[in-house]
Amino acid sequence: MEQTRILVVDDELVIRESLSGWLKRDGYHVDTVASGEEALDLLKTQSFDILLLDIQLDGITGMEVLTQVKEAYPDIDAIMITAFGSIPSAVQAMKSHAFDYILKPFDPDELEVIIQKLVNHRAREKENVFLKEEYKNQTRFESIIGQSEPMQKIFRLIEDIRDTDSSVLITGETGSGKGLVAKAIHSNSRVKDGPFVSVNCGAIPKHIMESELFGHRKGAFTDASETRKGRLELAVGGTLFLDEIGEISMRMQIDLLQVLEDKIFYKVGGTQPIAANFRVIAATNADLEQAIQDRIFRKDLFYRLNVIAFTMPPLRERKEDIPLLAEHFLTQFTQEVNRGVERISRDAMDELMLYEWPGNVRELSNAIERAVVVCKTSTIIPYDLPIGPSLEDELKARYFSLGDLEKQHILKILNQTQWNISKSSVILGIDRSTLYNKIKRYELKTDKTR
Amino acid sequence: MKKTDIIISPIGKISPWILETIAREIRVIFKLPTRIMPLLNDIFFAHDPQRNQYYSTKILDALESRAPKACIKLLAVTREDLFIPILTHVYGEARLGGLPSIISISRLIEYTQIDSREKNRSRIIKESAHELGHTFDLRHCPDKTCIMHYCRKIEEVDQKSEKFCRYCKIFLSDSIKVLG
Repeated sequence: MEQTRILVVDDELVIRESLSGWLKRDGYHVDTVASGEEALDLLKTQSFDILLLDIQLDGITGMEVLTQVKEAYPDIDAIMITAFGSIPSAVQAMKSHAFDYILKPFDPDELEVIIQKLVNHRAREKENVFLKEEYKNQTRFESIIGQSEPMQKIFRLIEDIRDTDSSVLITGETGSGKGLVAKAIHSNSRVKDGPFVSVNCGAIPKHIMESELFGHRKGAFTDASETRKGRLELAVGGTLFLDEIGEISMRMQIDLLQVLEDKIFYKVGGTQPIAANFRVIAATNADLEQAIQDRIFRKDLFYRLNVIAFTMPPLRERKEDIPLLAEHFLTQFTQEVNRGVERISRDAMDELMLYEWPGNVRELSNAIERAVVVCKTSTIIPYDLPIGPSLEDELKARYFSLGDLEKQHILKILNQTQWNISKSSVILGIDRSTLYNKIKRYELKTDKTR
Repeated sequence: MKKTDIIISPIGKISPWILETIAREIRVIFKLPTRIMPLLNDIFFAHDPQRNQYYSTKILDALESRAPKACIKLLAVTREDLFIPILTHVYGEARLGGLPSIISISRLIEYTQIDSREKNRSRIIKESAHELGHTFDLRHCPDKTCIMHYCRKIEEVDQKSEKFCRYCKIFLSDSIKVLG
């Protein structure tokens, strides 16, 4: 489950402890540091959504930290903490793109309201990004392509389960095609003529998730001006695909479990039971068994979902599929942008085969799309690929392990985008949290703060 | 004393009806035995002369060090007004998923109204269960009628019920199962 991650930066221990305790009780993940230097160091290895930043810090001031953070990590929002006498500094901070400021000691009402306002604001932004991506992906991926043995196994399994309605859990890395397999399972199932309704559990803001899934009756809550069907009801007679199931809140896990057990559900504010007559397919790139250990995913729900298990192989484990996939994307994007790019050169194909594709098929698709756009002739050459000739040089020169290769490529993209996490994750074809994890794992650092 | 006891610990002079009510209602709400046992004689060590309030986190530390080993959770009750440094005041505080919790009755009790006894009883029960809920790892709940809802004002305390919502009930039961 994705928790909002807050970093408290304050040189007073009591403030750090009090804020940390208070925010944890509100369900946030909280870390604390005593100085701006420590904050900048921690940000190199860990991702945060919100910074609660004291303006008056020893060493680097809060304002300087704010400036550096906004430059290197524009996705992080900052709330400045200030004493009564420092209001002009707080105003200055607002001009430097702080989200808001609060005065010490805080009124409990004010603190909760400001943080909730920011969390809602971030949720809306995230939803917008997701909707754009979803639209893009819907128009791109239509079929699963692969001749490799791992993919043949997947195809056989899809065939084997065509006559069962059991729940399916698909695991695999980001971009490995979990959504495509879900669609293929649906298209081969007994409910293939019914709807396929997809829900990205990580992208829908928590506060509207219940209404989004279950629908609502008119007047069920303030904004419910009319009765609306939820995604569960829309999926009746077909398949409900719960993508990124590992991101779902503990409360929603309870609700879903109840639906799977009772086979009925109710609209929010409704009293008429609706039969949960749909097949459930869930997918995740998270380690759910670890999440169960960490008590952030329910064991009973896991067993309900994990009746049939699929594990999608990463692209690096089915490299023989790369030429086929690359040709498929070439045809697709050439038609989309109406360009006369006809082929991929042998050298470029070698580059594609050598690369490890941490973002899997989605990253390959993005690489070909870019190559089609920048290609000057009818043939894609290594220079047109975002993975580029320097990668080959690096490989020959000094990097031998696959991890080194991935590390260098991620660093290259991060530097190209001035460490813009959102842009980098799009280019790499991985989601932001996966990118943050890789930055942490490889201990990558920006030049500015190194 | 059983290993599952929740200790209700008065600090200073607390009316017997308050302690007995808390012990009885907490036993019903959490379905665990309760026992009244003083652990701290005074809390002057936590007093802040500038604010004339008591720093609740320091009191939690002291309670934790004095808690009998066999007790499962601990709720202290004081008449003094509590604070944590970032906030102007708190009704109580608890260690999330930990052992100790505390409530102050100073802002909960009304003496002016004739019919205030029932209102006072209800407020004390709700805040006691709320803080104890945190020690069972329960977070604040968006359901305004749930005990775990965070109340900004005393009116909001009055509006919530003396029950956990269905989600918090399940989380509590999960947490109790983990404790064995």
